[in-house]
Amino acid sequence: VPGRPRLLAPALAGLAWAGPAHAHALSNRFGDFYGGMLHPLTALEHALPIVALGLLAGQEGARAARWLLLAFPLALLVGAGLASVLPPMPWIRPFNHLSFVVLGLLLAAAWRMPLVLLVGLGALFGLTHGYDNGLAASPGSPSYLYALGVAALGAVALALVSATALALSATADWPRTAVRIAGSWIAAIGIMMIGLASRPGPS
Amino acid sequence: MSTRVRRLQIGFDGQGGMIRLIAAATVLAPGAALAHTGEGVVGGFLSGFIHPILGFDHVVAMIAVGLWGAFLGQPAIWLLPVVFPLVMAFGGLAGVLGVPLPGVEAGIALSALALGAMVALAVRPPLWVAAILVGAFAIFHGHAHGTELPAAASPLAYGVGFVVATGLLHLSGIALGLLARWPVGLRAVRVGGGLIACAGLFFLIGA
Repeated sequence: VPGRPRLLAPALAGLAWAGPAHAHALSNRFGDFYGGMLHPLTALEHALPIVALGLLAGQEGARAARWLLLAFPLALLVGAGLASVLPPMPWIRPFNHLSFVVLGLLLAAAWRMPLVLLVGLGALFGLTHGYDNGLAASPGSPSYLYALGVAALGAVALALVSATALALSATADWPRTAVRIAGSWIAAIGIMMIGLASRPGPS
Repeated sequence: MSTRVRRLQIGFDGQGGMIRLIAAATVLAPGAALAHTGEGVVGGFLSGFIHPILGFDHVVAMIAVGLWGAFLGQPAIWLLPVVFPLVMAFGGLAGVLGVPLPGVEAGIALSALALGAMVALAVRPPLWVAAILVGAFAIFHGHAHGTELPAAASPLAYGVGFVVATGLLHLSGIALGLLARWPVGLRAVRVGGGLIACAGLFFLIGA
């Protein structure tokens, strides 16, 4: 609470400073930030891994969740930023479906894994899912704003899901069971999506 | 009690914040970045969600899984609903890849008959026997859903839809099965299992 006034003063200064030219953020190309922020929510294949990782963070405890909250958005930022630079990598999509299987099985097993492994997985999947999100950035506009948006949403969604899981698990036993069952279903979806991608002929 | 209620309210506030955030993002987002229109997602989800519910043989078998799990108590109450999707996925995989599985309809009807009979006769096998039995039947259920998946508007949304529907059917079975804690409830649960077995027999004759 003592920090409040210190934050308040620059905020007021910022409000006073903003002139008419800044009234419409969208016309300043700041819309790419919101584009990036919205994009993971527009498709289940982007939203599901964030939910799965958030549940996993909640299952592993508050300390692990805090580290993941640092690593995952940063990896999303790097992955989404690199998408416009790197050559096309078609194997990323099936790899991301594999991430459903890995995260789902870890949730179903409710295994207390080493913190390094959890953060490593979060960073790896953050990179690949960030890349997949970054492919949708509008060409020709600054991709860092879009990538920042993706990372911001990843951070907020991860924090909300893991905090909800942690808070509910502290009050009763059934949320832990529900998380394991949800993980099992997430793995099942991933297995079938891999099958769909490896189907012969046009899909 | 009051602290628990308050904690739940805090949880809902968090979700309300999320909804507000999504709403704000939706309003502020430029049209250019919308690669996914969402129409296929809604259609895929609904067709996936409805598929397990429209098949009555499937519905009673899924309720029987939850019913039997709750009837057997810990740890079957959570182990069976965890085992089911994992094994079902491999049946779904075969369905997606177009690998034929003979007697899918008979297998689903048989699963309702067998699982319903387990509850009705109050059979309490070792946990691994129950898991293998439920898993074996899961392959038939997965195959039936997986065959439909590639034709869906959005295969992933279809998958999520049928997963949510099947999970909810398990949950309703578990909720009904928890009645077995009381003597009257136990009788009701066993009668329910008997009804499921009868329905399974009916579908088996029809298949």
